[in-house]
Amino acid sequence: MSEKKTQIEDISRNIYDIKNKDEYSYKAKKGITKEIVEEISKQKNDPEWMREFRLKALDTYNKLELPTWGPNLDELNMDEIATYVRPKTDMKNSWDDVPDDIKNTFDALGIPEAEKKSLAGVGAQYDSEVVYHSIKEDLVKQGVIYTDMETAVREYPDIVKEHFMKCVPVSDHKFVALHGAVWSGGSFVYVPKGVKVDIPLQSYFRLNSPESGQFEHTLIIVDEGASLHFIEGCSAPKYNKVNLHVGCVELFVKKNAHLRYSTIENWSKNMMNLNTKRAIVEEGGEMEWVTGSFGSKISMLYPMAVLNGANSKMEYTGISFAGHGQNLDTGLKVVHNAPHTSSVINSKSISKDGGIATFRSLERVMPSAKHSKLSVSCESLMLDDKSRSDTIPVSDIRTEEVEFSHEAKIGKISDEEIFYLMSRGISEEEAKAMIVRGFAYPISKELPLEYAVEMNNLINLELEGSIG
Amino acid sequence: MKEIILNETPVRTSRNYGINNIKISDFEEPVIDAFDNIKITDNENCVSNQREEISLKFGLGEYFLAQSNEQSNVDLKISVEKKLKEPIIIEYDFDEENNVLVDNINIDAKDNTKANIIIIYKSENEIEGYHNGICNAKIGANANIHVTIVNLLNTKINNFYSVNSSVADESKTLFSMVEFGGKYDVVNYYAKLDGYKATNKLHSIYLGKEEQRIDLNYITELFGEKTNVDIEVNGALTDKAKKNFKGTIDFKTGSKKAKGKENEYCTLLSDTSISKALPMLLCTEDDVEGQHSTATGKVDENELFYIMTRGISEKEAKKMIVKAKFNSMIQGIKNEEVQQLVLEEVDRRLD
Repeated sequence: MSEKKTQIEDISRNIYDIKNKDEYSYKAKKGITKEIVEEISKQKNDPEWMREFRLKALDTYNKLELPTWGPNLDELNMDEIATYVRPKTDMKNSWDDVPDDIKNTFDALGIPEAEKKSLAGVGAQYDSEVVYHSIKEDLVKQGVIYTDMETAVREYPDIVKEHFMKCVPVSDHKFVALHGAVWSGGSFVYVPKGVKVDIPLQSYFRLNSPESGQFEHTLIIVDEGASLHFIEGCSAPKYNKVNLHVGCVELFVKKNAHLRYSTIENWSKNMMNLNTKRAIVEEGGEMEWVTGSFGSKISMLYPMAVLNGANSKMEYTGISFAGHGQNLDTGLKVVHNAPHTSSVINSKSISKDGGIATFRSLERVMPSAKHSKLSVSCESLMLDDKSRSDTIPVSDIRTEEVEFSHEAKIGKISDEEIFYLMSRGISEEEAKAMIVRGFAYPISKELPLEYAVEMNNLINLELEGSIG
Repeated sequence: MKEIILNETPVRTSRNYGINNIKISDFEEPVIDAFDNIKITDNENCVSNQREEISLKFGLGEYFLAQSNEQSNVDLKISVEKKLKEPIIIEYDFDEENNVLVDNINIDAKDNTKANIIIIYKSENEIEGYHNGICNAKIGANANIHVTIVNLLNTKINNFYSVNSSVADESKTLFSMVEFGGKYDVVNYYAKLDGYKATNKLHSIYLGKEEQRIDLNYITELFGEKTNVDIEVNGALTDKAKKNFKGTIDFKTGSKKAKGKENEYCTLLSDTSISKALPMLLCTEDDVEGQHSTATGKVDENELFYIMTRGISEKEAKKMIVKAKFNSMIQGIKNEEVQQLVLEEVDRRLD
């Protein structure tokens, strides 16, 4: 009888790797030039202010340099990337009207099923455009807006102009400037004062076209006293050449509002994921990030919260799993700008099979943030000696009235823990698998059930086999 | 005057965080003359005047290494060939005539030796000056070496210092470092642990006041099996002092069963001081245990209140608390006079 082995598999990708034929109604030329940006703007029928905005962002992009830190981005050649791919359908409000091949892809990913069961609204983006959007009627009656970003630019120009790329200015870094020039798709959410959206809204981003980029823009405003849980999911089939994801998420959490932003990121392993996410939190507001990073060849992702209002809070719970060929450089940034602000950060990473997992962070406390509290904890688990795990946290404390602590641990599965479990009659293999599941549990318990299940599928801890 | 960038971290992070290196915009190249104010206590005849070419894996930067190799005005070699009973004490005193020091100290500790080496840099209060020093230590197998480097310079002298050490099989090395002086106090410390069961401890205290800029870059690389690194840093900042603490523990492939920990605690005594920290763990070996922690905050109100109820002023109470935090490191210096000297300096600098 062959010996049973527990394996911590690479992420199971079968449903994510469904490739549709690369069909589109318009695909921009590869590269990034003024002509291409103008053509995208024309194709999208932008208002004049947005066309000018794109061109200014392109100027900024051309002036800025690539980062001098983090993963090597030499493989990224913008001359080989098409920045805009319009699928062969416009946006539908009925799932039945979405073309079959696109619908089947999202069906396989469980998107409409999730909507029926547990979501207040769903958006689905395919390549550069949103193909489906819906929201429950009772939320519309309460004044909640959930639509694609292009519709928001047309129908809510004042509120979009006031907020668009104000939280993340195009001068922030080179890829944000690129995003400003070629952005397309994404979601816009406005939750009016006092409205509590009890069940989550979800947007799912799917990039099907090879050698292309996805540049969706998410803008969420949660007004005073309101609350929202927003979920984003992302995936793509694997191609041999590099694909690029440069999304931008801007979140405005107003006075006493609450926003939880959950992400399960499962891009294919040819994807460079250079995403920027930022929240501005006003007095008494609460921002929660829940992040699972599993896919992509390279990720540079550091959600940021700027705590501008007194008594505002931020909580970050994140996990990353770097397997063969992956370099996941993730973490967070938080700036405390007001008194009595607090942040709690919990990060976990797992690396195996030569994968590189890096936790990188900034915690900055400005002189105005008196009586602030910060607690940072990060743990890294290495499953073999071919992999790499780094922890690179920066703290920058500019007031004495602060309580700041940071702790980090790195290592393999502890022999003592295995021994303890084995002394209770559990096999060594099962003990190891239990410990890894336990390691990921603080993150999975923060996710809605469907996403916790997806995360478990992603980690795919098969109980039959052996670790290492 | 020119701008220089020095003391790079082994791995970079975002430039916007202002911690990958330190930039000095008003750097003045020194005129290097003789430096004669040196007192050496060496009862076992281990110290000699001898120049040796030094190479550094990290260090502060090419400029400082080249200056040290080509223009040094004091070169000492400490040869440890047995278990020394008496400490070696080297004191450099800066004054009006002796205010530029470029010194190399090469420590060569053979196998199975033991030594207690104390190096002190002090100065008269108001003079300006320049110090570029390198301490290069080669520690043999099963040696037990304690090196204490005490920087009690004033806050007008620029202090640039590099430590480079390699630690062989089963040797135990402790570096105790006191960082109190320097308008700019920029220190690079590197320890290479390639011997089986080699141990390297680095215990450091810093005290920043006025407009001092402290940049501490401590790097350890663990190559050998069952090696052990322990970095313990305790500091306090007041006035407009700024401090960067950068600590790196790098577990290399093959360092099985190695352990590394680093802790940094910073007490802020004013609302205008700035404390930055970057405690890095880098790891390409799974069978290791690594941990780090940092904490920053003001003096504990309960401790302060308790002491003040005994009739002690707030200022004295704060001094007592800072000294208490520094105490375990200071008590580790194996010389009572030097311990007393450091304690008095804490009092004087916090007055």
